[in-house]
Amino acid sequence: MSAYINNYELLCNAGDVESLMQAIYAKESALVIDNTYLDDASAGLGIMEYDNIFNVLERITQQILDKSNLDNFHNTLLIMGSSVGGMQECEDIFYRDMSFKNIDPMRYSIHVLSDYLQEKFAFYDSRAISTACTSSANALLLAKRLIDVEAYDNVLVIGADGLCRSTVLGFHALGVLSNKRCTPFDTDRNGMNVAEAVGALLIQNVKVKDSVELKGVGASSDAYHMTNPDPEATGAIRSMRDAIADAGIEIDDIDYVNAHGTATLANDRVESLAVEKLFGKKVFVSSTKAITGHTLGAAGAIEAIVSCEAIRNSMIPPQAGLKNQENKNINVAKESVKMDVSYVISNSFAFGGNNTSLVFGACR
Amino acid sequence: MKLYIKEYSSYRSDEDAVDVKKELKQKYKYDTRRQDTFIHLAVYGAKLLQEKIEIRADDELYVTTGVGNIEVVQKTMTNMHNNNQSIKLFDFLNSVGNTTSYYVATSLGLHGKNIFQISDNFTYLNSLISLYASIANSGKDAILCALDFAGSSDEVTKRVLGVKRDTQLVDSVNYQKFSLDGDSAIAEIEFEAKSYSLSEVKAFISQSAKPLLASQRCRDLECDKESKFFETMASYAINSSIKKSQNLIYIDCFEERYKILKLKSLR
Repeated sequence: MSAYINNYELLCNAGDVESLMQAIYAKESALVIDNTYLDDASAGLGIMEYDNIFNVLERITQQILDKSNLDNFHNTLLIMGSSVGGMQECEDIFYRDMSFKNIDPMRYSIHVLSDYLQEKFAFYDSRAISTACTSSANALLLAKRLIDVEAYDNVLVIGADGLCRSTVLGFHALGVLSNKRCTPFDTDRNGMNVAEAVGALLIQNVKVKDSVELKGVGASSDAYHMTNPDPEATGAIRSMRDAIADAGIEIDDIDYVNAHGTATLANDRVESLAVEKLFGKKVFVSSTKAITGHTLGAAGAIEAIVSCEAIRNSMIPPQAGLKNQENKNINVAKESVKMDVSYVISNSFAFGGNNTSLVFGACR
Repeated sequence: MKLYIKEYSSYRSDEDAVDVKKELKQKYKYDTRRQDTFIHLAVYGAKLLQEKIEIRADDELYVTTGVGNIEVVQKTMTNMHNNNQSIKLFDFLNSVGNTTSYYVATSLGLHGKNIFQISDNFTYLNSLISLYASIANSGKDAILCALDFAGSSDEVTKRVLGVKRDTQLVDSVNYQKFSLDGDSAIAEIEFEAKSYSLSEVKAFISQSAKPLLASQRCRDLECDKESKFFETMASYAINSSIKKSQNLIYIDCFEERYKILKLKSLR
C-alpha cells in the first residue's frame, strides 16, 4: 500500500507554508537574537507569533480537515511527534506558583498535545513519539508503515514543540547554542538556534491532486555517544541507504538532500561526511534550519513539508547564511535551483544517535 | 495482526525485592552514573532479557510508557528555578525520551530502529501495532520495553493518568522479544487496530474462554482486574501468563472504546 501526503499546514517563525517557502527561496532568515531565557548571554531563536500552542494545534488541525477529503477525523490515526509536549505551559505555571498543584494534568506530559487534539476532534486513535529531534520524522516513518500494513487508511502526523526554558537552557548547558543566526555547513558556524513550530501532514492510502508520495523510510541507532554522532557517520549513512532502498529507487535518483544541518560542529561535520560517502557531489544539499532554526520535535514534519514544496515548486531550496563551505566534497546549493525534482531525502538526527531519513517522491 | 514472542523479562516493584541500581552495578557491572531511576529500570529489564535470549545488533527497539519520567521533569524545573536559570546537563538529557532508548540500545548493543512511544491510551497495544507495522516490512525481530515509574511524583502521575487518588501505583518494566517467525516461540499474540463498543466487547467476553483480565480503566466490565496500576499493565499480564504457560485475553479501555489482546501460550 502506498502512502500519500495529501495536504499540510505549518506555523513557524517565518509564518505559514507560503511565507516560509518565500523566506527559504529568498534566503531571508526569520531567526532573532534574544536574551529572554539566558541571564548571561543572548541566543539566536526561532520565535513564532501565537498565543498558546494548544490553540495553534487546534487551528492547524482544523485547516487540514477543511482542505481534506474527510468529513471528520473519526477514521484517522493521530501521531504526534514532540520533544517536550506540554512543558511550555507547565513551566509557566510552575514559575508563577512555585508549585505543581495548579498544573492541568491534561496539559502536562509529552503526550498531552495528542490527547488534547484527540478530545477536540475525536480521532480514532492517537499516540505520541518522543525521540527528541527525530520525533516527528519517526512519526512520519510509523505513519507510512501503518498504512503499508493497512492498519489505518488516514494518518495525521503533527510535529510540535514550543520554546521553553528547559530546552534553551539545556542546549546552552551542552554548549551548542549560537549567539547569532546559525550558518549550517559553514566553516565558521558556531552552533544551533533553538526554535518552535507546529507542522501537520495528512497521509492517506489514496492519491489526490497534488499528492506527494512518502516513498521510503529508514532509521538507525548509532548507540555511540549520548550527544555526539558516530564520527564515521555509519548510522546516518545506514538510515539514508535504508530509506532509499525502501523507496525502491537508486542513490542516483535522489535530487535533493534536505539536511538535518543544525549548524553544530559535530552534526554538520558528520552529516556532510555521510552525504559525501553516499552521494558525492551528485545531489544538491541544504539545511533550511538557517531560516527556521532547529524546531526540535517539530523539525521532521516542518522539513517534510519543505521537501514536498521543493517537489511541487520544482525548485531546490538554497543554503542561507553560507560564506565558506566546510566540506567541499558535497554540493551545497548556493542559490535556488529550478529543475524537475523527483525525489527528495530529508534527514533528522537526534540525541543518542537516533537517525531517521525519509524519501519523498513526485506523483507525476 | 499476529506476532510471536521469543522471550520475555519482568520486574515490578511490589513483587520483586530488588535494589535495581545495586543489582545493575554488582551483578551486571553496569555503569549507572549520569542516569536516573527511570533509565535504571529500563536497563535492568533489558539485562534480564539478555540473560535469556540472544539479542542481535539489528533488532529494532521500542520503548513505551504511560507518562514517562515526570520526576525528572519536576526536578529539572525546580533546579532551574532555584539555581538562577541554570540547568543540570544530565537532568536535561534524562528528561528526553530517547535518552532512555539510548541507554537500552547501548546496553544491548543495538544499532537498529529505535522508537520511544508515549501515550496514556492503549499504550502497550498501540506500541505493538507500531512494532508490527515496522517489522512486517523489515522482517527483523523487535524488542518492546514497556516501562512505568511513579517515583516521588506519584500524585501528579495519578492526575495525569486519570486514576483515583487512592490507587496504588507500581514501578514496572516488562520486555518481550517479538518475531514474525514462530520457530522456537514461547507464545503468540494477536491484536488489531480496531476498537469496540461496550456492548460489542461484552458479547465477545460472553463467548470467550478464560482466563480473561481487564485493565482498571474498564470500569463497566465485570471481570478480573488488577488492584494496583501502571499504564503498561498489559505487558506484565502477558509475561505473567507466559510464565504460567497460560493463554490470556486482555482487554483495555479508553474513553468508552475497548481493544483486545489475545495471548496463546506455546509452551
